[in-house]
Amino acid sequence: MATSPNTSTLSPSKKKDESFLEKIGTMGRKKKIKEVTELQEEGKNAIESPTSPNIPDIGPEGYQLADNEERSMIEPTSRDNPKLIELIKVLLDWINDELADHRIIVKDIEEDLFDGQILQKLIEKLCNVRVEAREVTQSEIGQKQKLRVVLDYINHILGVSPVWSQQKWSVDSVHSKNLVAILHLLVALARHFHAPIRMPDNVVVTLIVIQKIDNSLQTRYVPEEITTNWDDVDGRGERDAFDTLFDHAPDKLNVVKKTLLTFVNKYLMKLNLEITDLDNQFHDGVFLIMLMGLLEGYFTPLYQFHVTPTTFDHRVHNVKFAFELMEDAGLMKPKARPEDIVNQDLKSTLRVLYNIFTKYKSSHGSQAVPVQ
Amino acid sequence: MDDIFSQVREGNAFNVRVWLDNTENDLNKGDDHRFSLLHWAAREGRDNVVEMLIKRGARINATNMGDDTPIHLAAAHGHREVVIMLLQNKANVNAINEHGNTPLHYACFWGFEQIAEDLVNYGALVSIANKFGDVPLDKCKPYLAKILKDRAVTLGQDLSRIPFKDRSWLGYKTRSRDAILSRHTGIDIKELQLVGHIAKTHSGENWRGTWQGNEIVAKILSMKSISDRNIRDFKEELPKLRIFNHPNVLAVLGCCVPKDIPDLVVISQFMPFGSLYNTLHGESGIVVDQNQALRFAIDIARGMEFLHSMEPLIPNFILTSKHVMIDEDLAKINVDDPKYTSGDPTLNGIDEDLTAKINMADYKFSFHEKGKLFSPAWCAPEALQRAPEDINVRAADMWSFAILLWELETREVPFAELEPMEIGMKVALEDLRISIPPGISNHMNRLIKICMNEEPGKRPKFDMVIPILEKMKLSS
Repeated sequence: MATSPNTSTLSPSKKKDESFLEKIGTMGRKKKIKEVTELQEEGKNAIESPTSPNIPDIGPEGYQLADNEERSMIEPTSRDNPKLIELIKVLLDWINDELADHRIIVKDIEEDLFDGQILQKLIEKLCNVRVEAREVTQSEIGQKQKLRVVLDYINHILGVSPVWSQQKWSVDSVHSKNLVAILHLLVALARHFHAPIRMPDNVVVTLIVIQKIDNSLQTRYVPEEITTNWDDVDGRGERDAFDTLFDHAPDKLNVVKKTLLTFVNKYLMKLNLEITDLDNQFHDGVFLIMLMGLLEGYFTPLYQFHVTPTTFDHRVHNVKFAFELMEDAGLMKPKARPEDIVNQDLKSTLRVLYNIFTKYKSSHGSQAVPVQ
Repeated sequence: MDDIFSQVREGNAFNVRVWLDNTENDLNKGDDHRFSLLHWAAREGRDNVVEMLIKRGARINATNMGDDTPIHLAAAHGHREVVIMLLQNKANVNAINEHGNTPLHYACFWGFEQIAEDLVNYGALVSIANKFGDVPLDKCKPYLAKILKDRAVTLGQDLSRIPFKDRSWLGYKTRSRDAILSRHTGIDIKELQLVGHIAKTHSGENWRGTWQGNEIVAKILSMKSISDRNIRDFKEELPKLRIFNHPNVLAVLGCCVPKDIPDLVVISQFMPFGSLYNTLHGESGIVVDQNQALRFAIDIARGMEFLHSMEPLIPNFILTSKHVMIDEDLAKINVDDPKYTSGDPTLNGIDEDLTAKINMADYKFSFHEKGKLFSPAWCAPEALQRAPEDINVRAADMWSFAILLWELETREVPFAELEPMEIGMKVALEDLRISIPPGISNHMNRLIKICMNEEPGKRPKFDMVIPILEKMKLSS
């Protein structure tokens, strides 16, 4: 699906790509191969180029700005921001995961999403609906119409106001492959549908904003927040003691972690297991399962979970199983999703452990943990 | 087949066998007058049916409403073969009925000389008086009376008259079972008079009560919530647990399904002695000697052999000492046992009068306690690691039986000092095994080792273990 508008002619470098084997073939064969390659290339371009929008040919006058009008673009160096690169990769993986059944592979977040086709498939998959929009179309007007339908539907599902969405992801900005707009849209979708991914926190890109004031161009650098702090916007309930702890008392956080560590090790020691790091030793669910068995007095047959999980799905399965055991034990259903634990979200992990700790600390005589 | 009693009376062995093979049929049930199948077979002299019933575990000394035992009827109708068969299977030769008559009274009265002699040879007392003050010798012709008296004297009987004692209170214990028990499945919880809370365990809460005059235990399954699917599975799995046709399997009587109450309830007979675990490790005060321990082992093996003979196999039953119940062996109840005359039900008079039964009420429903194993100490290593469908369940049960044998020998709880999670992990992954202490007989030591062979395929089957245990018992 990846297309680029400006690769329409066969590049001279193609010749270099010919392998050694092709060179030692007969001239006739070589010619044939060349013809075939050329034909393929031409066909490919014939199919693909029209679907890309023409580079908006705005002409010299298009660059003219009226007074006080402004334009913005991403400051080129902020594209190299590792967090941004990670975010794009995570989002791409998620889309490809969702659309794997459709045999759709998205390679480039800017080049592949602008025409609304992938977005339509994605929202159809996520909501399990059919969105009535035009089929693949090649004209710019047709593409924009389609995008309008799809974006309207998405805005309706997300429940955002038209004004807000117009600012963040308008038809024009998405269609013109504006990375910031597309990212805003995808992040909003991922949040809304609780995508089983962990997006990096606080991803910020710098925009260059050019404004014409009194016939001269003024340039400003404006930071644009793509993701903020994960928990503040995830909409999963009100802030709790852990949010406060994370934000305001990092020193106290360590005390809590230490207490929880002592608590879990007291039990896991019986199996000659020791936790040294709460952050990344619970994410595969195995220790959570063991802990529940030790606390509640049962064994969990080894075929019920993956003792040595190797994939994401194995880990999710394990954490889900641990959650079920917790619920059976009368613990509150964890607010976090199993995927959060698997993605090593520290706050979710701590909440789950603290929940267990609160129930069993008294019956097993541990000290209290200072969380308030 | 609709009236098994007439089939028995007519001696229709084939039909009786087919009926007995149906697990839902209770071979100890009684008719309207509480004549059991064995009563009828004995009365009509159906040797083959009597033999079959005894083999299947019919109660030898069951009583009817008139307190007659089968041997009363066999003696009164002159069926010598039957009388001998019953005597060889520990029938109570001096049982008295409501008139105070013993089998010998009837043999004498009806002039069955050979039977009368057999009875005396087996210890029938010639001087027990009935309600009307008559002893058996008063009932027969003088020449027979003389023969019997001489024989009694040679056997060392004290000829002084034994006055009549009213023992009708005993009847409630020995009477044939109420046939209603095996006919009901769905029971309205309102019909249960629940009187006391017995215990709360991980799997549910046990209540004691009565239902139609029978003492029962109602187990309310511990469930977080009950879905329609759970109810469907419950109804589908429960009938398989109603196994009434084996003396070493304790059937589930019935169930209550949520209508007004949101619970799944399993109903089974109340067993005053509790589980084998309780008997061995609790404060039951019951003395289990070597012989009785072997008897339990044989009982369990027989029960398991029976369960293993079923197709399809009942899944999800985990053999542990907690899932084996102890009962009085009613088939062998002997009224002259001091235990019954003293009126103290916990007194253990003669040995081996307790029997072990595999408790189907401890079956683990497919939807219940998912993913949790509370007694891994009894489980084979492969059962801890792989799903039942991927292992040989029968071989895994044999491992559990080995642990039970060890428990019966040592009177200790396996891995008592460890938590279930530790036991499971260590048995499954670190080769933790029970150790056989010195002082255990060579034979038993070897049997335990064979039964818990690391190679499941090399473990014996229950029908191979039973004769070995029986031999051990004879030689001890």
